[in-house]
Amino acid sequence: MSQDLEPRIVVFACNWCSYAALDLAGVSRMKYPPNFLVIKVMCSGRVDPQFILEAFRRGADGVLVAGCHPGDCHYIEGNIKALRRMTLLRRVLEGFGIEKERFRLEWISASEAEKFVRVANEMYQEIKSLGPLKLQETV
Amino acid sequence: MNEEPRIGVYICHCGVNIAGSVNIKEVVEYVKNLPHVVEVRDYIFMCSAPGQEIIKEGVKKYNLNRIVVAACSPTMHEHTFRNVLIEAGLNPYLLEIANIREHCSWVHSESREAATWKAYTLIRVAVAKASLLEPLKDITFKVNKNVLIVGGGVAGLSAARELALKGFKVYLIERRPVLGGNTARLGRIAHTELKGKDVVGELLKQVVDNPNINIYVNTEIIDVSGSVGNFKIRVVRQPRHVNEKCNLCGECVRVCPVEVSNEYEFGLTKRKAIYLPYLGAYPPLYVIDHENCTRCLECVKVCPRNAVNLAEKPEEIELNVGAVILAAGHEPYEPLIGEFGYGVSSRVLTLFQLERMLDEESPTKGELKINGIQPKSIVFIMCVGSLNITPNAYPYCSRMCCSSTIKNALVIKERYPETNIYILHKDIRTYSRGDEQLYLRAGERLIRFARYREAPNVLVNPDGSIDVRFFEETIQEEVSISADLVVLSVGMKPPKDIDRIRTIVKVGCGPEGFLREAHLKLRPVEAATDGVYLAGTVTGPKNIVEAIDSGSAAASKALTLLVKEEAIVEPLVAVVDDERCSACSICVGICPYNAIRIKTYEDRRIAEVDPAVCKGCGACVASCPTGVMQQFGFKDAQLKSQVLAALYK
Amino acid sequence: MEKPKIALYWCASCGGCEEAVVDLADKILDVVNLVDIVFWPVAMDYKIQDVENLPDGSITASFINGGVRLTEHEHVVKLLRRKSKLVIAYGACSAWGGVPGLANLYSREEILRYVYHEAPTVENPDKTRPQLKTKVEEEITLELPDLLPRLLPLDLVVDVDYYVPGCPPTPDVTWKAIETLLSGNLPPRGSVLGASDKSLCYDCPLNETKPDKVLIKDVKRPHEVLADPSKCLLTQGLTCLGPVTRGGCGALCIKAAMPCTGCFGPLDEVIDYGGKAISYFASIVDYADEEEIKKVLGKILDPMGVFYRYSLPASRLRGKIILAER
Repeated sequence: MSQDLEPRIVVFACNWCSYAALDLAGVSRMKYPPNFLVIKVMCSGRVDPQFILEAFRRGADGVLVAGCHPGDCHYIEGNIKALRRMTLLRRVLEGFGIEKERFRLEWISASEAEKFVRVANEMYQEIKSLGPLKLQETV
Repeated sequence: MNEEPRIGVYICHCGVNIAGSVNIKEVVEYVKNLPHVVEVRDYIFMCSAPGQEIIKEGVKKYNLNRIVVAACSPTMHEHTFRNVLIEAGLNPYLLEIANIREHCSWVHSESREAATWKAYTLIRVAVAKASLLEPLKDITFKVNKNVLIVGGGVAGLSAARELALKGFKVYLIERRPVLGGNTARLGRIAHTELKGKDVVGELLKQVVDNPNINIYVNTEIIDVSGSVGNFKIRVVRQPRHVNEKCNLCGECVRVCPVEVSNEYEFGLTKRKAIYLPYLGAYPPLYVIDHENCTRCLECVKVCPRNAVNLAEKPEEIELNVGAVILAAGHEPYEPLIGEFGYGVSSRVLTLFQLERMLDEESPTKGELKINGIQPKSIVFIMCVGSLNITPNAYPYCSRMCCSSTIKNALVIKERYPETNIYILHKDIRTYSRGDEQLYLRAGERLIRFARYREAPNVLVNPDGSIDVRFFEETIQEEVSISADLVVLSVGMKPPKDIDRIRTIVKVGCGPEGFLREAHLKLRPVEAATDGVYLAGTVTGPKNIVEAIDSGSAAASKALTLLVKEEAIVEPLVAVVDDERCSACSICVGICPYNAIRIKTYEDRRIAEVDPAVCKGCGACVASCPTGVMQQFGFKDAQLKSQVLAALYK
Repeated sequence: MEKPKIALYWCASCGGCEEAVVDLADKILDVVNLVDIVFWPVAMDYKIQDVENLPDGSITASFINGGVRLTEHEHVVKLLRRKSKLVIAYGACSAWGGVPGLANLYSREEILRYVYHEAPTVENPDKTRPQLKTKVEEEITLELPDLLPRLLPLDLVVDVDYYVPGCPPTPDVTWKAIETLLSGNLPPRGSVLGASDKSLCYDCPLNETKPDKVLIKDVKRPHEVLADPSKCLLTQGLTCLGPVTRGGCGALCIKAAMPCTGCFGPLDEVIDYGGKAISYFASIVDYADEEEIKKVLGKILDPMGVFYRYSLPASRLRGKIILAER
């Protein structure tokens, strides 16, 4: 069986922009590290900070939330709701001591496959150099 | 659904597209051991007829109740495979797609090992979600057959014409007191003998007498509730203060003491507070501009037919429609005072002002005279307000200005052959049929074209003369031209109240403010909001032909909805657990579509989602503080299971 | 018939939960009539040996308040678990860590250094620290319990059967919980006793004063504003956690024009109390511009303290990830 890949990075991608950008990266045969695992939501506004905390809890080394650019949201302003939540979540993650490089909110339109690839490469490099996220368990 | 999940996983090779990078055998072996997985099959093309058969057989043979297809992106074949589930007797929403082509084999082809790992990891995530999928029912509702069209320019008129001819009732609202939009103010249209208002007139002939069309001018939309098939619209009609008894005698204009800039002549002349916007306007009645009217009552006294009534009040009207077409148009870019000398020198005009001046119905009767003198040297500057040439310009090309500029230059050359004409451009885009010939003819008539790199400098000298300076790209030299007239070919920008309208109707916009289509290429006249269609320049610059085209296209798209008795939407909507909702109201303010209301039942208050209005974004679900709001297909438990499966080690 | 045996114990707690039991007032006599109290260090003179001498499973229910912070706590709660049929996490600290759980934002070393050396009221030039073992005489060595690296909610140390929320649980909640336990009709294991299955908003007298859309333009701390006691505090920009907090407290703070700080904890569906709290709270900040959003949310000076006041050790991430202690 193939080796488990590290680090592991969870991507929440909105159906209309960012998921489509990842599709476009595929169609264009771009290359990016395989460590990014995509979970599709209809809108970045569906992403609950709880999922991101859960992901870190379960061993994610990084989390990327990707949505449409402001003004371009398929649901008018779901991405703005994501922006509000993630702005506060960022401070909470800092409180937990999670390095800021491990969590990103990015606006990636359906045509911005290159932007996704750039973000993925950056995140991969940064997280690789931070090493795995180790949480303290019980006593 | 309490039955134990029995999942079939169908892995597509997609020829060599997937199998070329992914070790399918290893994936199959891995997937066999995932929880609830009963059958795993792979095939060269799962979307082909034999591939679909494999799935159907599997369902029958193993009594499967969930299907995972590991193949291309769901945007490609989710629909196909949902139909396979229906044919196999399963609910179509019991399908989950693992995207192992676009998200895996195509991007990780350098490492077979990595691609294989990712393929089975993505399938593991899909299996985890599949085991929590529930059967869902499409949402159906009755469709109201009436249509609201916002905007009475050529796009709106074109859409109204199509719908009325098919026998559908249309409410056409226009915020100005006349129909015809920007086109009505244009001069001669290239390649025709028609003027802008003639084009409008032709359309009006087919519209105004059609009993299916109800026209409301001076009217704006103020509220929308409901959703596709059943919109409740509130509009407010401002008083015209002049009724149908008006016979256009003009007595009122003579006595009116108020003079304001005439927007229909682009400010070249003045008009009175009571006025007829332009000759041939529809409706053919005078109108009082109540913002500027001083209520002196002179017009009331002088009107021979008692047609003037200053006591009229704004009127609110409720309309029930199944579809809305937004054709709210655009505005010409208005240069800032001082931008290229505009507003500083009377020798600087916009292209629209020039075109009005060249019109034989203009105040100068079509004569081109600036301060009484016929200009000998004219410089056109193109792309004003477009292509980012100045800091406050828009980034896009406005499409119609190149041809329009060249057309007007040729008109001048025809009438005044001795005039020296220079057209300074960033680029020439004469893309419409026949426009390239116009460009060539302009060259033959010795109209000179020069290409600037940076926006030209318009220097207004103390004596009033003007020098236009710029760096010419072709000859690579600084050039200075002395001009008697500078014409700014201004582009288009979104109308100023578009934000208000789009917020009411719930349509997104791009960074420039034009409304966004559901898909730029595939769904150009539909908004992302179901039942809302977009026509004309409201989505971006268009020429007249394109605007009329898109009006017809929007009408045709609306018809595909209106001809149905019932409409269907995907059931991936939000849903409240009534038992435990705390009625905290957070969701109500979060919903961008006003789909959630707090309802009271006896003593109990709960949030209620109208599934016909909900678009399924899930923003309320993430915001629900108690977790009792969920979204079908994207429940917390389903997404959490995906997170866990993605991170399983 | 023999009366049910009850034990009460406190871990890292302020003592408020003990007060809450006493606050049952007249009803405490009913309780005493109905049960035998076999262990209650705060109020009665029992020794740990008394518990050790009981047969396993002979205590009907142990009510444990406070989070597990010392080796002593760990030892006693494990003992009580063994001796009890039911273990009840009583109060916010025991259930999720409570206010003392915020110490999980610091390492053990940081805490000791601050408390014994750096705190402004400390005078300790020799930099002495408590020792686990101290020889006082030739034959006598005193032992102190050790500080665990982190504070743990009770259920991360032993299995917990039921939870009674609150900081402290109100007499009403406490009595309802006792009634449920005595009724013999026990809810599913892991349930919260004595409180509501809906959020505080549902019980809140100000809930119906909310406008249609609950959106805020500004965030205020309680001392920065004279709150209108007749209007929903959240809509006045206060970080009221009523929407995300289990009801049952009787909206005591709200009635005193103070926003809910969340001591009744989350409802069942919530994965992470603080995560859910920031999700709804940030969502209603009515700006679209990133800088405006940052500015307004920046007025919450201590997001960890506001949103994880009672639940940090029970949160998905438990506390600050401290590199030095790995």
